[in-house]
Amino acid sequence: MSEYVTARIIRLDEVDFGLFDWDRHNTVYFFVLNADEQIYLRYGGRDARSFDSYLGLESLELALEKGLELHEKYKAGELPKKPRGAPDFAKDYPLLVERTIGNGACVECHLVNDYKAQHKELDGTLDKVRDMYRSPDIRTIGIHLDAPKGLLVASAEGMAQAAGMQPGDTITALEGVPVYTFGDLQYNYDKVDRAARSATFTVDRAGESVDLAVELPLRWWLTNLDFRHWTIEPRVYFESDPLTAEEKRSLDLPEDGFASRVRLVEGVAGLLGLHELKVGDIVYGVAGVQTDPDANSAELYLKLRTKSGSETTLQVLRDGERIEMPLKSARMGFRK
Amino acid sequence: MRLFPVSLLLLSALTAFPAGLAAQELHWFDSYDAALEEARRTGKPIFLEYRCSP
Repeated sequence: MSEYVTARIIRLDEVDFGLFDWDRHNTVYFFVLNADEQIYLRYGGRDARSFDSYLGLESLELALEKGLELHEKYKAGELPKKPRGAPDFAKDYPLLVERTIGNGACVECHLVNDYKAQHKELDGTLDKVRDMYRSPDIRTIGIHLDAPKGLLVASAEGMAQAAGMQPGDTITALEGVPVYTFGDLQYNYDKVDRAARSATFTVDRAGESVDLAVELPLRWWLTNLDFRHWTIEPRVYFESDPLTAEEKRSLDLPEDGFASRVRLVEGVAGLLGLHELKVGDIVYGVAGVQTDPDANSAELYLKLRTKSGSETTLQVLRDGERIEMPLKSARMGFRK
Repeated sequence: MRLFPVSLLLLSALTAFPAGLAAQELHWFDSYDAALEEARRTGKPIFLEYRCSP
């Protein structure tokens, strides 16, 4: 560590997010860079299970060693310079200025994420598949890392295994972009177009570089959002399971529809007067819509296509009878 | 109320004593510009941490 200049920044008022871009729902995040503001690598990243699924002393030490190696290469002129993003500061977001900076409160990481998303919602540019479902989980495509060893693959299943990924491989690039840490991998995986149907992972296998075209399944980007406390996420307080194609046929519902059977209704739904769904209800439509290219359940459709805090009407099958039911979602106001 | 109070404490330990290194005194700049200046002066790379609170 003594071979580094160390800095810890706890207020983001003056940070240029055009340079330091990361998923700010992380607890902590690290960059290794040089005096020319060239970022060598990132250290950080999390999943829905825990803030530290991919953090630890062993992987940190590997990252620090790699940072020194890249620094030597940079000084030797062996690393190309990366372009810097357009300037992007907290002060550029009026809601953040009004509610946080203007009150003298700390501009914290998660607030930046949340207010940026709210501004996208206001100006109509919010794409929830991309902006709300941040940092897709590599486990969804079957990549399980030996986290203390950085990007060493512990096991591969599903799509990753089908593409040829093997235990013992070390991931070295994604879509041609070199990655040195899990933070690098997750950051670049988040950049993959949500409509993409494959992504190329390059691995080192016993000294040989191998490209693996991993097929991306439908909804590969879908993650648990609970830890994010998004304002933009409609809270509906029920969970449901997609009907099978056979069930939909038997109920005369479109096979490509998002009809789903309610599995859980949280008490808060009743307390807040949001809806009157019951376990076993089948929600087969929202405001008359029954199909969606991204949603395979009613609550996913509501999260993706309705605004938090808004009201709509559900089409519901209850005890074989088709009924209409009003629903209002809740809008989070977590620590604003 | 803090968002991740326990994790911050754990990560504090993580960055204080990287494996293989003695628990030596490190100076942590709280100014990015000052860290840049120090990197220019020493030729060292920067290890930069962003976090909610100390």
